[in-house]
Amino acid sequence: MATLFRLSSRALPVSRSRLLHTAGISPSLGSQQFNSVNQNEIAHFSKLSSEWWDERGEFEFLHKMNPVRLQFIRDKLLEVAQDANPELESSGANILEGLDVLDVGCGGGLLTEGLARMGAKTLGIDASESNIKIATLHASADPQLAPSTSSNLSYQHTSAETLLSEAKRYDVVCSMEVIEHVDNPAAFLSTCAELVKPGGHLFLSTISRTPLAYFLTIFMAEDVLRKVSKGTHTYSKFIKPSEVVQFFREYRSPLAAAGEGSSSSALSRPWISTPPSSNYLPRLEAELRGLIYNPLQARWHLAPRDAWGALECNYMFWVRKPTQ
Amino acid sequence: MSLSPTSTTARRLSLKVSKSLLSTRHRRAIATNSFPNVTNSDVVIVGGGPIGLALASALRSSPVLRKKLSVTLVEAGDLDSIRTWNPSQGVYSNRVSSLTSASQSFLQKTGAWSNIEGGRTCEIEDIRVWDGVSNAFIDFSAADLQSSGPNMARITENLNLQRGLLRHLDATGDIQIIQRTKVTSITNDHEENGGWPLVHLDDQRTLRARLLVGADGFNSPVRAFARIASFGWSYDAHGIVATMNHLPRGAYEGPNTTAYQRFLPTGPIAFLPISSTASSLVWSMKSPLAATLTSCEPGVLTSMINAAFRLPTISLKYLLQKISEAQATGHQISATDLEDEIRWREQSHGIDANSSYSSLAIKRLGIPPADSADLPPLVTEIQPKSIASFPLRFNHAESYMGEGSSGRTVLVGDAAHTVHPLAGQGLNLGLSDVECLARCIETSFSVGGDVGSYTTLQPYAQERYLANHTVMSGIDKLHKIFSTEVEPLVWARSVGFEVVNELDALKAGIMMAAGANPARNRPVESLGWDFAAGAVKTLSSASRAIRAVKSGVDGAVSSALKSLTVKT
Repeated sequence: MATLFRLSSRALPVSRSRLLHTAGISPSLGSQQFNSVNQNEIAHFSKLSSEWWDERGEFEFLHKMNPVRLQFIRDKLLEVAQDANPELESSGANILEGLDVLDVGCGGGLLTEGLARMGAKTLGIDASESNIKIATLHASADPQLAPSTSSNLSYQHTSAETLLSEAKRYDVVCSMEVIEHVDNPAAFLSTCAELVKPGGHLFLSTISRTPLAYFLTIFMAEDVLRKVSKGTHTYSKFIKPSEVVQFFREYRSPLAAAGEGSSSSALSRPWISTPPSSNYLPRLEAELRGLIYNPLQARWHLAPRDAWGALECNYMFWVRKPTQ
Repeated sequence: MSLSPTSTTARRLSLKVSKSLLSTRHRRAIATNSFPNVTNSDVVIVGGGPIGLALASALRSSPVLRKKLSVTLVEAGDLDSIRTWNPSQGVYSNRVSSLTSASQSFLQKTGAWSNIEGGRTCEIEDIRVWDGVSNAFIDFSAADLQSSGPNMARITENLNLQRGLLRHLDATGDIQIIQRTKVTSITNDHEENGGWPLVHLDDQRTLRARLLVGADGFNSPVRAFARIASFGWSYDAHGIVATMNHLPRGAYEGPNTTAYQRFLPTGPIAFLPISSTASSLVWSMKSPLAATLTSCEPGVLTSMINAAFRLPTISLKYLLQKISEAQATGHQISATDLEDEIRWREQSHGIDANSSYSSLAIKRLGIPPADSADLPPLVTEIQPKSIASFPLRFNHAESYMGEGSSGRTVLVGDAAHTVHPLAGQGLNLGLSDVECLARCIETSFSVGGDVGSYTTLQPYAQERYLANHTVMSGIDKLHKIFSTEVEPLVWARSVGFEVVNELDALKAGIMMAAGANPARNRPVESLGWDFAAGAVKTLSSASRAIRAVKSGVDGAVSSALKSLTVKT
């Protein structure tokens, strides 16, 4: 039971502890509805909700990051699929076609719409009602996504914990730039993990807890350039890539056969099988990739695997749920 | 005209204020969706010229976009007449363009090139450009380029290109072409940010566009809708175009594959070969002069074209003045009078009637003079009804993308930029725009992007704006430098470093545009280094010349001193 998350200089109240424990969290979270949702964060983003689709406003960085995130998701799914079936054509155009995809903390639906356009049966959920309204309204203007013409995209004002009580599980669960806003990241991670079908995929994107990340995402973006509203990010809530990896080295999900209520019966192998001492991530189990912003081009780039220093700020994480 | 930034801010403010008005906005959205006769289309292209058609054909030839992205093209004119355009052999349209190697590669990649009638195009192997006042010249030879491209440039009739693109589109299908239909107005289905453009047509239909592309030329209605300001000026000049017939090059001369351009103080005159016996003219001059010259009998223009490539500028100026004066007094100069005048001027300049600089030795037989390749062949006649003229402008839109309530709008080709035709780059810049825009759309679409979004279009504007501006201002500077007769400037532009630099820049520009691989595929540094190396080479050769002169002078001085000391 290692303490994976060091408290930063801005010490948090005990009640908001962000220790990423794996033990002590019941995978069947009947009583823990909304437990990771932070009401202050929800109020903050509800206030900004009308700004979601202003591509040059508050969320410009997210809009620009979006194609890179979608590309990572598409390419990773393709890579895994090609491993199982080397014959698969490599354009990857239809790799998401027909998959059940969940976008946790969808906000205005930036990523959600992209997933739906690529053919995935997508559900976007958010704890903020006004976000869901904005996302629904925005999609309704698009004939490709509007509920009247397409059934690929739907939104729901709910939390991941609530969805857990339903039977439906997803081929792909995405949660972009969310985990740094929740109260209990460990609980949040295990909730997301439980929503994934065996053999399915979990994608995260977040910010590492490093001085560089503080400098870029809080000092520059919020204080100096004022591109992002003050208070959007809290340094102590940032999570290091190693902490996420460690979580999945220890995390074992209950197998589907385990049935309701019996959390202790059959558990899967850990999601990442390499020992904690190793930096190695098996290519078909998990992957960490840095996201680098080039201010001259005003564009985000996905750093190559294992690029030096690439994980110091924004990064993406992918992990696959074991089938046994 | 800098209204747009302020209004954007205002809009954003109003958006913040109206946060609580979600339900109102929602109702409005539903209202527009139930607009009668509205058809949704992912990409609506306004304008069926070469640029609009090239974009449609690029979008249809992409395997990622085909069958998935709906494309509608709206053209006010009659495209069927272009589809069935079938001129007799030897007769050429007066609107031609020189397609650079990059443009040709792009058209080959989309598959449109094979639909262009190759027999009606002409490869350019050399371009010879010279200063009308000093006769300093520069040669661009395809052999110098060493690029992997098919050739330096190819003269192609615009109609041939348009017909080829239409044939390509008809073969690929999956596109809605609305012709003989005007755009009456363009509105937006939301008052605030985030609305979609509604293109209202004069047949009562309305197109709702995810992305609206303005390929509608200099007077772009799409640019007006998007309230994109543009800056520029008129050169107060017109370009005269015509198709010229001439004798084929003789057995001792090369083929007719050299383009000629002479910078006259009144404006550049260009000779663009299109077949062995026909070439296209682009001659720019002050607007009243152009009007006078085009209203004279065709024989006058024929003689003046021949003279314009040969006579010293002082005589040309005199002849043009004479034509204008005759026009002012109400009786136009006749072709025979003009010929007499030219003959007299040639004699007074000491031009031998058998030299290649004589405009009158049309029926020259036997071995041509050694310098005959320095000049274009003598024009025998102008093809009937091929004389036309158009105003010359410099114009550049302030942005290629609409903002705020005119979002989802993008400009390509002449709608975004208009240049002086002296470098023949207008259509090529437009085709580069199209190549880039199609690439951005494809990239965005392949990761589920909204192809009308700012995020999709921003890389296009970023890549093309600066590239276009560099070429455009280079062309404009060339125009300015070559339209002066002030002696020190003429001297400077002929022999000085400024001109070397300008021509180097022009040469580099043309080479870049002519390269088979688009510039983005090439390491930028290597180009810069080539350029720097060229400049150093020029400098060092100049300093070597100075050193040679200096050592000669030194020798003379020292020997003089020696002889002096010996004497004393």
